[in-house]
Amino acid sequence: MEKNDYRISFFKPTTQQARKNRNLIIKLFVVWAVAIFGFQILLRIVEKPVPEEALITFSPAWENIEMGNASHSDYQAIAQSMIQVMGKITIKPDDYAALKDGTGWALSKVYPEDELPDLEQDVRHLHELRGQITSLQDKEYLETKELIISKAAPALGIGEGTLLAQLLAIGLDDNLQLLAEENKEKIPRIMSLYLTHNRSFLTDTVFLGFPFHYFYSAVFLLVFFVGLCWIYCYRTDKLHAKLNFLEQID
Amino acid sequence: MKKLSIFVLSLIPLVANASNDVTQLEGSFKVGPAIILIFILSLFILVGLLFRAKDTTDYYAAGRGISRVGSGMAIASNWMSAASFLGMAALMYGTGYHGLSYVVGWTGGYVLLLILMAGQIRRYGKYTAADFIGDRYYSKTLRTIGAVIAILISIAYAVGQFGGIGLMFKWVMGIEYNLAVIIGGSVVLAYTLISGMLGVTKNMQIQYVIIISSFMIPLFLLTFKFDYFWLLPQIGYGSAVQDIVEGIQISEKSGLMNSLGHHFAIVPSPEYAMPWDPSAGQTFFQWMAIAFSLMIGTAGLPHVIQRFYVVPKARDARWSVVWGLFFICLLYWSAPVYSALGTILSSNPEVGTLSPDAIVVYTAQLGDINPLIVGLLAAGGVSAAFSTTSGLLVAGSSAFAHDLYVKVINPMARPKTQMLVARLGTLLMAVIITIIAMVDLALIAQLVAIAFSMAGCTIFPLFLLGIWWSGSNRAGAKAGLIVGGIVTLISLTYLVGARGLGVAI
Repeated sequence: MEKNDYRISFFKPTTQQARKNRNLIIKLFVVWAVAIFGFQILLRIVEKPVPEEALITFSPAWENIEMGNASHSDYQAIAQSMIQVMGKITIKPDDYAALKDGTGWALSKVYPEDELPDLEQDVRHLHELRGQITSLQDKEYLETKELIISKAAPALGIGEGTLLAQLLAIGLDDNLQLLAEENKEKIPRIMSLYLTHNRSFLTDTVFLGFPFHYFYSAVFLLVFFVGLCWIYCYRTDKLHAKLNFLEQID
Repeated sequence: MKKLSIFVLSLIPLVANASNDVTQLEGSFKVGPAIILIFILSLFILVGLLFRAKDTTDYYAAGRGISRVGSGMAIASNWMSAASFLGMAALMYGTGYHGLSYVVGWTGGYVLLLILMAGQIRRYGKYTAADFIGDRYYSKTLRTIGAVIAILISIAYAVGQFGGIGLMFKWVMGIEYNLAVIIGGSVVLAYTLISGMLGVTKNMQIQYVIIISSFMIPLFLLTFKFDYFWLLPQIGYGSAVQDIVEGIQISEKSGLMNSLGHHFAIVPSPEYAMPWDPSAGQTFFQWMAIAFSLMIGTAGLPHVIQRFYVVPKARDARWSVVWGLFFICLLYWSAPVYSALGTILSSNPEVGTLSPDAIVVYTAQLGDINPLIVGLLAAGGVSAAFSTTSGLLVAGSSAFAHDLYVKVINPMARPKTQMLVARLGTLLMAVIITIIAMVDLALIAQLVAIAFSMAGCTIFPLFLLGIWWSGSNRAGAKAGLIVGGIVTLISLTYLVGARGLGVAI
């Protein structure tokens, strides 16, 4: 073929080489498209919104609170669930602030009323220290955190050495009894947003340690792409050799 | 044994500031990383000088004397920009599974590039994308528009790179972001002007080795330290992903801490891995659309297409894609590891809000990896941005000097004048890119995605139809360019508007 000959048609190849090349391209293209988009469509078809355990605990407890017949364990349940959401990396600052407000309020409902001012004082002190320290390993800062944990965690039914206890210590504001009306309205929506996920057998099956769908998209597809490229080059070389086809050389 | 190994690793002489005694991960000037960075940049300039362009053929297409594997490494290095090195992990850190649409889009596009474009483009023996468009559609106007689009794409793409260079210079030198962009941009400009494409291609092979080593070494250390299968971190981190989904209690990995003193623990966070999670604010449609547009964008990027002009034969062009994609995938298999470990290490709210674009470096820092190795990682990030930016500047200046100046304005220009115009074009582009980078429009990878959208809407259809359909003609090409240009303009307006209104994109 001449260097500047543009008279080519993919759908009407004029030579045997062009015809075979077109067939190879179509086959690889179809396999490629199905592997990428077909899998994601399948994922979409089989998925269902599934709530996390924390939401399953939160919802009836919150309902009881709204109906005015909540028990201590209901307040403990919503606080634990809210702290769990506050520990999520994706949480937005506004949502974090609303849950912080809610957690403090739930704590105030189960904490001895006469000891609340002391606890609020400790929280205030922790916030002041946070603005002054140069290291998160500062002794006084750590001690204050531990003090808050030792007071608040048991009231919420949280073990002192747990991750939730760590999150609780830094997730309280210093006015525990007050819950802004606006935040009260937002909290159920926030909880539902962060605690509902699209799941299916493809996401729940574990393969080589990964959730299967994650492995497929993050690892397998890339191997597959390299494989497809290799197949194309190998088959093209073989085809050119078989047909004695010479490509343009400058 | 493991504790002993960690102890031995920590005995490597420390020159840089340790990070575990501060509440913030950024800070003052870091001597060790700065030395590594200066050494690597000097190496690039030295190689650039040794292999500098002697004439226009060298400058545009590296004398067409690069081997398949070498060209594959250059393709990978050219491709693995700040968006891959820094931005990939950033996207997954913020949006979980959604970020994988970028991984799939950017790698899957190479299959299209190979089967539809690579061999065919080389066969036509052109220098630049606009060369092909102008000759194929017999139109000086289309050549000019093609050149302008190539320049715009190069600028959009390079803005993200300058942002990445600025972030890393800021981290290493402890200086303000805008100043870091100016310093980093000046260095990459100086280097590109001195060397041209031949130096760039040689450098790209060295850069690839630096990029991939600096990216991999911390991964082995991190997975080893936090008890995952470290011999192959790209598979070993699967357990970390599952751990994020199910949560890690303090008791499960007791004794393991981040550099700020937080336990290696996280609340159950299925949103990290579950598809199009509501809390990530991304939908199924967006996943598919991003993957698709990145794929066709990949096959239409002028600086990527231009790589196929530098291999001697069409067969070499094809095999260089296989090698290039393999080398690229080495990095893309690894980027999610940083994201997963970074998610766990920074999960405590006390860590504060981290810039997602620097999460790769922060993960190593939070993992308490030796500061010199963190410095090497930062240098790798700069190297990745460098290799792509220099390729982009060459592609842009080629379009400026070769397609606009020589083919349209002054066909009688002497080679010396052409070189001068190419260098002036490079300088002009660098100034424009620096100014836009300072505006800090979006995440690095999102900025780069704009370039892909532009390439996918304009260059890709012109090439695809021009190569494969003899019925495609000048009028159709012009109509396609107009429609593609409008679509791109709408998406750009959306981006800038969303930024102005403070809306997340």
